[in-house]
Amino acid sequence: MSAQKRIAKELAEVTSNPPAGMIIGLVDESNVHNWDITMDGPEGSPYVGGKFKLLLTLPVEYPFKPPTINFKTRIWHPNVTFDEQGSMCIGILKGDTWKPSSRIMNVLIATQNLLIEPVPDDALETSSAELFKNNRPLYEKEAKKYTAQYAIGK
Amino acid sequence: MAEHDLEVQEALARDFQPAMEGPLVGEKRSSHAIAEEYAKADPIYVAKTAALPQKYSHYRPILGDGNCGWRATGFSYFETLLALRDAARLEEEIARLTSLNNLITTVGGVEEWLFEDMVAETISLLRDLVTTMQSSPDAAEQLLLQRFNNPEVSNAIVYHLRMLASAWLKGNAAIYQDFIHGDLGVEGYCKEWLDAPNQEIDHLGIMLLIDVLLKPVGFAVEIIYLDRSAGSQVNSHMFQDEEDGVPTNPGSPIIHLLYRPSHYDILYQDRSASLPLQQPVDDVVRSSDIQVNRATDFTKHQIVQGSTTTLNDFSNLDMNSLLSIPGFCPPPTPSHLGFPAQYTSIEPSYTGSQLSASISPVSPARSPGDVSNLSVSAGFPSQQTANLISPTLPPQHPAQNAFPPSNTQIPIHGHGPRLHPISPSLPAHPSLSPHAPDPSSPSSASSFRPSKYEWEAAADWQEPVVFQTSTFKNSHYNTAHYNNPNFQPEEWNPESEEAESSRGRKRST
Repeated sequence: MSAQKRIAKELAEVTSNPPAGMIIGLVDESNVHNWDITMDGPEGSPYVGGKFKLLLTLPVEYPFKPPTINFKTRIWHPNVTFDEQGSMCIGILKGDTWKPSSRIMNVLIATQNLLIEPVPDDALETSSAELFKNNRPLYEKEAKKYTAQYAIGK
Repeated sequence: MAEHDLEVQEALARDFQPAMEGPLVGEKRSSHAIAEEYAKADPIYVAKTAALPQKYSHYRPILGDGNCGWRATGFSYFETLLALRDAARLEEEIARLTSLNNLITTVGGVEEWLFEDMVAETISLLRDLVTTMQSSPDAAEQLLLQRFNNPEVSNAIVYHLRMLASAWLKGNAAIYQDFIHGDLGVEGYCKEWLDAPNQEIDHLGIMLLIDVLLKPVGFAVEIIYLDRSAGSQVNSHMFQDEEDGVPTNPGSPIIHLLYRPSHYDILYQDRSASLPLQQPVDDVVRSSDIQVNRATDFTKHQIVQGSTTTLNDFSNLDMNSLLSIPGFCPPPTPSHLGFPAQYTSIEPSYTGSQLSASISPVSPARSPGDVSNLSVSAGFPSQQTANLISPTLPPQHPAQNAFPPSNTQIPIHGHGPRLHPISPSLPAHPSLSPHAPDPSSPSSASSFRPSKYEWEAAADWQEPVVFQTSTFKNSHYNTAHYNNPNFQPEEWNPESEEAESSRGRKRST
């Protein structure tokens, strides 16, 4: 029961005062473990203008195990797999660095920052990571292209 | 740590596989099981584990899920609190742990709403133990085990402990920072070792947890290290409040943790349950006083316990066997001088007994000056003896015929076997075997134990003493004599005692 209480409090925090450019709700009102998030591509990133749907899943062991985030909208990004899964790798959510005292609010803000500042050393997609490191203009161009293709007007 | 040691430790860590499935906190079981696990292992292990059950009768396995050290310590905290059977103490702990929330928020830097649900599990367990304990201590123990095996509750409590340790470190960084390996720093150490939910407890973590959780409530912790260092005994280290190396609270409950490389289990020293054959007798003993098991303590016991209730309880035990131990008499020490007064004070409650009046030729008012020369019979006034025996006599028994007053001392003290018909409690003999006070038994919580070392001594004495025949009972091969500090085998000689009889005895000055 304590997991649900904690999740309810976290949900109340992020819905009453969501980070800029995010809409947060439950996928299914009867299940607090799956959150439906719509995130605007942040200013200052090649993803601006896109609307990305994310699924945040809270395990039953939450908060002792970290939540996971999947991009339901395809995104071309070094730290997100470019497939249907859209798995995201971010330091705060790794099993060995996750702290049960972390807040979902911070996870969402970190996700937004990841779109602005990818972490190529921790990449899941090597091709975009290479471009990000070695050919930034080409990276931006590719990212914008895929954003337009998958995340705008959908 | 030397590199070689590290290699050995790593090798051991590979060898030993803690349980990865099963309950988070297992049932208490005989520690012989540990020895069996290692039966085919390295000879040093075999020797160490073979010696283990002699000192620690039971152990409780903890699941090796990365939280075992935290969980073992946490469980022991609740279990030891529960064993005190003191509701006020539990209430104090509820207040103390609630007040420590402040430490977690202000020093630990965690917002209260993020951890209040975890603390709530700890507090609610304490509260439920208070209420359950009063109706049924057994049910309270079951409740504790059940909560600790509910992953959600168990993990919440464990994480509460982690946050306490983490905040305690941040608040007392100066004391502990030298224990942090490498260049992690306090913040880095907290993040990597304490705040991560499945990170095994390390040495500093245990120190922190003991300091924040256990020392304030007065519990000591002994960690028994089962490693491959030389020797046939396990190494152990005691964590407790000390002043110049002397424990400030020597009678405090002790939590025993068994450490094997990267894993913790709980050990117990209570011996009562380890010898199931003695169970019925132990119950009798526990209801009177645990000390009665030890012949060496009998004399002390007389001094401490002046109440008639206790003496009546003795009637359930077979005192004849004690009397028949040669040389069993109080030592000529200063403490002994208190005896006559002691017996005099008891006297009024027994004067009504026809039997005692008829068979007490030895004056209880014997002056203290005679004390050093008292023989068996005199050191143990027959009046006392008669009272111990009388409850076992049928009321209509012709007592005076069985014990002619003029002849009292010899049959009682010299010829134990002749008393057997009136000692139906003879099967109580096994109760003379050693067993350390059971920390979970209510009587031990209040019993007077002047020093923790006495407890250790009791635990070290292993072989159960079984009197098989009266001949053996009196034989110098009977190891029970060694527990009598006054036993001097060369002084006892059946012939000379016969010859002396009452004549020689009374003449001695």
